[in-house]
Amino acid sequence: MRNTARTALFIAMLLAAGPALAHTGEGTGGFIAGLKHPLLGPDHLAAMVAVGLWGAFLGVPAIWLLPVVFPLVMAFGGVLGILGVPLPAVETGIASSAVVLGLMIALAARPPLWIAAVLVGAFAIFHGYAHGKELPDGANAVAYSAGFVIATGLLHLTGIAFGLLTRWPAGKFAVRMAGGAIAAVGAAYLIVP
Amino acid sequence: MIENFIDGVMQALLPTHLLAIAGLGLQTGQGGRPRFALVAFAFGLLVGACALTFALRDPPAALVVLGIAAASGLLVAVALPLPVLTAALFAFAVGTALSLNAPPQAITLHGALAFQAGTILAAFALFAVVAFIAARAREPWQRIGVRIVGSWIAASAILVLTLRLTR
Repeated sequence: MRNTARTALFIAMLLAAGPALAHTGEGTGGFIAGLKHPLLGPDHLAAMVAVGLWGAFLGVPAIWLLPVVFPLVMAFGGVLGILGVPLPAVETGIASSAVVLGLMIALAARPPLWIAAVLVGAFAIFHGYAHGKELPDGANAVAYSAGFVIATGLLHLTGIAFGLLTRWPAGKFAVRMAGGAIAAVGAAYLIVP
Repeated sequence: MIENFIDGVMQALLPTHLLAIAGLGLQTGQGGRPRFALVAFAFGLLVGACALTFALRDPPAALVVLGIAAASGLLVAVALPLPVLTAALFAFAVGTALSLNAPPQAITLHGALAFQAGTILAAFALFAVVAFIAARAREPWQRIGVRIVGSWIAASAILVLTLRLTR
């Protein structure tokens, strides 16, 4: 009964999700604009840090595989966005990525590597799609895309650096708490339009 | 003259060119034997510059540069070094396309030559530095870092290439 209620609440949150703050439709170009783009949406930022944290939590080879896989799959999502291929519930997918990845860290989940890679890759498509839709045309496109890809990568590395604390019991607790906080940020974006 | 030279240097530092040079540099450096690729790259830069003097500017040169940047980044990300000859061909193609994509903005002959010299020297120096750094990356964390940067280059190049091809 409680599980049914939780599932219903989760679905209601998904349906109520509003647009993520990182993706407001503004199309300003330039390296700095691209660099700032992933940092301006807390849900996007939390999800990116979560990728690095979870990678560090899972250990080798996930610690380096996830940050390599994510930008490549994100580019695929970006191509879909540029081509205008319809992808439903993009903002919901982005907020859900923070919830799911945060919960994985909070619950210390250690699925097989391929499951982790597929999960992270699936969410990367949503993040990439949103970026691809807002990629500015013209000469600044290269600088802009390099900026947001580098910012995304640096957020992963931030997560990895923090995740290395899992070597110590107190650090493991801190990382799991951070996972819980990330899930809460994602949930807030699902609830508040 | 000096101004034209500096303008040429800045041409090599354009984001599209930087992506291609960094991707190619990492790719050849990751293979561990960048010498042939360095020579081929320099030769390609000269060939492209000569083609420009004969007004043979190639309009899709920017697309070639971006395409090779994407391919190089992908190869770096999956840690797949190319055979020496193929890597040299890659380097030659990037060098030629880069020069073709950097037409001199000077009116006089001397100014145009100074511009091209700036582009060629800056592009070659950048390529050599990146290839050298990648070739020296022996520690596991350094090699992982190279692969992560490769994935960033591939992702950026793929996005912009798609944008250029569709809009």
